[in-house]
Amino acid sequence: MNNKTDAKKIIIDGLWRNNPVFKQVLGICSTLAVTNLVLNTVVMCVALVFTLSLSAASVSLLRKFTPRNIRMMIETLIIGFYVIIVDLVLKAYWPEMSTNLGPYVGLIITNCIVMGRCEAFGNTNPPGPTFLDGFFNALGYSFILLIIATIRELLGMGTILGYPMPYFSGPYWDKWIIMVAPPGAFFMLGVVTWIFRSIEIRKEQNTK
Amino acid sequence: MRDKWWFPVVYMFVMTAFFSSIVIGFSQFTSDRVEANEYLAFERAILTVLPDMLDAGDSRLELHRKFIELVGQPDANSGGAFTLARGGRIVAYALPISGQGFWAPIKGVIGIKADRRTITGIAFYEQNETPGLGAQITKIGFTSQFQGKVISSANKPLNIKRPSDVLGISDVHAVTGATQTSTRLEKIINDALKKWLSELSQTNGEGQT
Repeated sequence: MNNKTDAKKIIIDGLWRNNPVFKQVLGICSTLAVTNLVLNTVVMCVALVFTLSLSAASVSLLRKFTPRNIRMMIETLIIGFYVIIVDLVLKAYWPEMSTNLGPYVGLIITNCIVMGRCEAFGNTNPPGPTFLDGFFNALGYSFILLIIATIRELLGMGTILGYPMPYFSGPYWDKWIIMVAPPGAFFMLGVVTWIFRSIEIRKEQNTK
Repeated sequence: MRDKWWFPVVYMFVMTAFFSSIVIGFSQFTSDRVEANEYLAFERAILTVLPDMLDAGDSRLELHRKFIELVGQPDANSGGAFTLARGGRIVAYALPISGQGFWAPIKGVIGIKADRRTITGIAFYEQNETPGLGAQITKIGFTSQFQGKVISSANKPLNIKRPSDVLGISDVHAVTGATQTSTRLEKIINDALKKWLSELSQTNGEGQT
């Protein structure tokens, strides 16, 4: 297999065929927590793209030296390192967002996708493809989160990115408070997973 | 060397030292900014609750300048509140309040007119309540309710009531779905106001009607 098809496979896997959220059902904790406002979700996604691609690449760089029995400790250390950097950058240059996201930035450390990609891919592949794999897995996570966040904010608050939307912010739309409350996240995640899996199954049947 | 029993220990030690030193260096580099941001959030809250002090377009520098030049530091006569004076007379107080919220401490400022009874506004500069629920206390929809409310001389200076209740002159509506935050916030506000009023009445009797 040459490099080009390899990269293409990694990209399609991360975004669709092996999508971390609706296929592997990983990183659900943060999917539920940060998707009630679109802006918070965007920042969270950027933070995850940064953390995931760089920490997986770092794990991969060190894979020939790291003793197998302590590899998970090293992975956690590296992930923690990048997350603290993100946290500090937000605190210093975007304090409002830092207070909005509260503890969730720090909780990227426990995001299963990050550890999962380091373990499943970074440990056995060279840094280049690992970076790509991390990057597109994070994007696969991000686009699902953004879909959920957009619907939740629209139905729950009548706004998108804080801007009032026609009709939904008007008097005829009774805001669904439950959509911005935690249960709304469960409903949306369930519905989104259902829809995307159905699309995928239909695709598979068509190709047969 | 990789087969030696001590290798993992040394490896872990070296890696930890390497990554920690970068983090320490970076946090040193940003610590001034982080601290300044935190203090600026406090200054912004003070200016928000004082009448006609904050313009929406104020830059961070402008904000800091206003705070330094116009706001009086707390002293015994103000009962620990920051003051705004015009022509030598105090026109408003800004009283810092703080206490435990649902998840983490809530810190804010409450503004009171010179009559020591009418609320001019409330603002929060530190909280970690649930986003979309308890955290709504920082939103204008909640904070604007306080403007013009009057501190009651009853046991509870201000009441945060259920969203369906009818409001009196000392009442505001709670945030829907955030009962815990609202209850705790009510206690924080009332404790601070009671303490402030009793300190004021001890140091001087003026302004009491």
